[in-house]
Amino acid sequence: MLRYIIQRILQYLLIIFIANSLTFLLPRIIPGDPIQEALQVKAAAAGRQNVDIQAWVATYNEKFGFNQPIWKQYFNFWRDMLRFDFGYSLFDYPATVMSKISAAIPWTIGFMSVAIVIAFVVGTVLGALLGWPNSPRFLQGLIPVLMVISAIPFYLFGLALIYVFGVELRILPTGGGADPTLIMRWDLKTLGNLIQHAILPALALVLYGIGSWALGMRATMVTVLGEDYITFAQAKGLTDREVFTRYGVRNALLPQVTGLAISFGLILGSGVLIESIFNYPGIGSLIFAAINSKDYFVINGTVAIMIFTASTALLVVDIIYPLIDPRIRIGR
Amino acid sequence: MAPLKRSWFKDPRINPSLIFGAALLVFMILAGTFGPMLSNEKLARVGAVEPNLPPGAKNLLGTDSQGRDVFTTTVMAIPPTLRVGAIAGIISVVIGLALGLIAGFFGGWADWLIRTFSDVLMAIPALAFMILVVARMNRPNIVSVAIIVGFLTWSGTARGIRSMVLSIRERSYTAVARANGESELEVLFREVMPNLLPLMLASFIGAVTMGIYTIMALEVLGLGNNVIPTLGMMIFWSQRFSAVLRGMWWWWSPPIVAIALIFIGLYLLSSGLDRFINPNIPHMRRRSRHGLAVEPASANTIVPPTDPQAVLQVKNLRVVYDTPNGQVKAVDDVSFTLSSGERMGLIGESGSGKTTMATAVMRLSRPPARIVAGQILLNGQDLLAMSDAELRKLRLKEIALMPQAAMNSLNPVVRVGPQIKDAIVAHLGRLSPKELDDRVVTALTKVGLRPEVAKRFPHQLSGGMKQRVAMAIAIVLSPKVIIADEPTSALDVVVQQQVMETLGALQRELGAAALLIGHDMGLIAQFSDSIGVLYAGKLVERGNVQDVLQNPFHPYTRMLIDSLPGLEEKKDLVGIPGLTPSLTDLPSGCAFHPRCPLAHDRCRNERPILQSPSQGRQVACHLYPTHSQLPPIIESDGLTPAVAATAPTVRPAPAPKEAA
Repeated sequence: MLRYIIQRILQYLLIIFIANSLTFLLPRIIPGDPIQEALQVKAAAAGRQNVDIQAWVATYNEKFGFNQPIWKQYFNFWRDMLRFDFGYSLFDYPATVMSKISAAIPWTIGFMSVAIVIAFVVGTVLGALLGWPNSPRFLQGLIPVLMVISAIPFYLFGLALIYVFGVELRILPTGGGADPTLIMRWDLKTLGNLIQHAILPALALVLYGIGSWALGMRATMVTVLGEDYITFAQAKGLTDREVFTRYGVRNALLPQVTGLAISFGLILGSGVLIESIFNYPGIGSLIFAAINSKDYFVINGTVAIMIFTASTALLVVDIIYPLIDPRIRIGR
Repeated sequence: MAPLKRSWFKDPRINPSLIFGAALLVFMILAGTFGPMLSNEKLARVGAVEPNLPPGAKNLLGTDSQGRDVFTTTVMAIPPTLRVGAIAGIISVVIGLALGLIAGFFGGWADWLIRTFSDVLMAIPALAFMILVVARMNRPNIVSVAIIVGFLTWSGTARGIRSMVLSIRERSYTAVARANGESELEVLFREVMPNLLPLMLASFIGAVTMGIYTIMALEVLGLGNNVIPTLGMMIFWSQRFSAVLRGMWWWWSPPIVAIALIFIGLYLLSSGLDRFINPNIPHMRRRSRHGLAVEPASANTIVPPTDPQAVLQVKNLRVVYDTPNGQVKAVDDVSFTLSSGERMGLIGESGSGKTTMATAVMRLSRPPARIVAGQILLNGQDLLAMSDAELRKLRLKEIALMPQAAMNSLNPVVRVGPQIKDAIVAHLGRLSPKELDDRVVTALTKVGLRPEVAKRFPHQLSGGMKQRVAMAIAIVLSPKVIIADEPTSALDVVVQQQVMETLGALQRELGAAALLIGHDMGLIAQFSDSIGVLYAGKLVERGNVQDVLQNPFHPYTRMLIDSLPGLEEKKDLVGIPGLTPSLTDLPSGCAFHPRCPLAHDRCRNERPILQSPSQGRQVACHLYPTHSQLPPIIESDGLTPAVAATAPTVRPAPAPKEAA
């Protein structure tokens, strides 16, 4: 077991190392330097305005230091990375990248985690019932519907939802995280406003999520119900309901729970598109704005954080998996 | 999954999902190819038409804010979208195939290196990484983006191909090919390649989906190429000009519909291909909940037993399997009676219907198996005519099953103790925790296990221990009948003997009747009072153990006995030539005639009926009663000793239609 954990942690470090080294190397391999271009454009534009171009250039040189030897650059890169120091926003100087990210993270985690949990619970229950031969017939008719919605990229639902509820019916806001006039307080009014704004983006995620959780659970249930221990449980004279819950669902739940943990790990990255479509003030909108204003330090920092959280989550899942599945508790 | 020889359109694995998916994609390709001809390609240029017009006679789907005809633009955006997907797919599959084959065939450090690298790639979120790379490009070129996506997504293909190569190398026909003197590479190309094809296709579809998805996401985020109109760019433009908020539904919805159709097509195609890759995955069927052809009769008539001693009477039991090629009779008109305390051995080769029969007697048959006729009388009550609830109360309490695969018969995520307790609670209701624990300990002790076993998970037990746990569950409520279906098939010989002895002792202690099912004549005969021989779903001989062993009436029985090694006498071991017939294609007349050294014309044409020469003795053979005047079988078969020695327990290659 200990060996397994150590092996897994080494692999994790390797992933972080390779991924970040690639983010260091690629800009130096790809010809042209868009950052320099962006700076020049900015410098030209700011020539007449009184903006501190020198500070940008200084930041840029400190960050990339092309005059320094490459090993030194690489060393500085890692030093900053380990301190989560991603420099300053080019577009919004002198705000730091990290301050922008920390401001965005609570929004993303807030609405995404609610959406993930709702989709997981509804989808798993639905999938379990779909995989059970004794469930009502009409449920089986849902399967094609679930297939269709899980096949379509979910952020596209977002456009249709905005159009129907925000533009035609005008019952929900078309975007943003809260009313611009709202003063944030710990009260019901603030909460209501936040929920109102989160409903549509969350709904797009939930619709898609229900489809894929349900289909995954159904497939596992069908496999599990073909196992010998199900036949033997029936031979023991257990009721259908007991066989279904304690023998069927209990076993089929394992891969689902792993999937849930992984989706929490990918939480920062998987909402990017839906947030940018709804203009929701999380990580996704941050990166969307950064892309469109060519704010490369923000893009760099955000992606590094996404890679970091995703691989950390995978590590945690692998380490806690033996706790949910007794079969690998002793480790191999 | 042997290479296919049949013409492809008759392949039973062709399924609606595959056909619909392919049709949908073909339709999209045709729409992309011929659609622009219906319209004028120039209408897709910026400023070609008056902007912001709703759909009308002139512009089928209206125009956008940049002065383009939406219908023409959408149709023309389909080919570049599919093309980038295809480029990503091809690159991903080529890399995945090459690395998967290298890892699978060479193993060792190459395998380790590839696996580690693919683990790393899988752990990097592809979209985030692509954002970083593409944001660095001066002018993103969708072809190079597609190539990078291909380089990022090969891991799944490589893994699938590696494990397939490994599993194919294990299979017997690869070993046979190698034994025939073919080199590893010849084997690779001739035997492995056809099997890899469906997997590669599915991987390709997966990579295409991934490619289109990623590139479209980048485009929607603003990292696309403004020159080439793809479906993703259309959505980006419509967002830029706030088409949704301005109520211009005709602008943003057509590309979404086109994308949805492409993704649904890809999804259906890949789930259709799944049938080729995993032909054995269980597929949901609509089924009668009871595994019965007819709903059980509501009235539960008690049939007076003809034999007052009888606890279990099986009458004219018939079980069929519904296959794509029609019905197959797996158990055909089998009848027998089990008296209380009697131990009956039921012997047959794989595919003779033994396990089908054991599950049918418990009324546990699952689709495609179906009980179509007969009666199973337990103390005069017909199990087949009962309601589910009534049947449930009798299972385990009156009639218990010791399953064939005890390895897999215990719930892997629940400790042994609770698995015994839930069975007790199901029949006796809630007992005090103390009493439950006592009963568990008693049951475990009876089968020779220490009480601590209750706290273990099944995977912590050896095969023999698991079999004993299954036995403990079977006897925990002192049933009247125990059905032991190949109770020792997965165990080594010494453990087999111990398990059978424990079972025998318990059965005597409980005074229960036992039905011992197996393929090992020696083992079964040793622990039985009477014997039934099953061949191709029919009972061909039945009688007292001594009578049958000393004076077998059926040539098959006689050959089974001759194939047993004797302890005292030294003799040549003799096997039975040939294999169990396939139930889908039974020989005419007597099903055994192709393998029978004494077969004559009547055997080929007329099916023998079950005769009853004396009390408790039955045989279905045309030779009876003249069999004893015929020459002994051993001298007439002329088998080579090598074949003979292995024959009795040989499992024939064609998959038997037994319930797994």
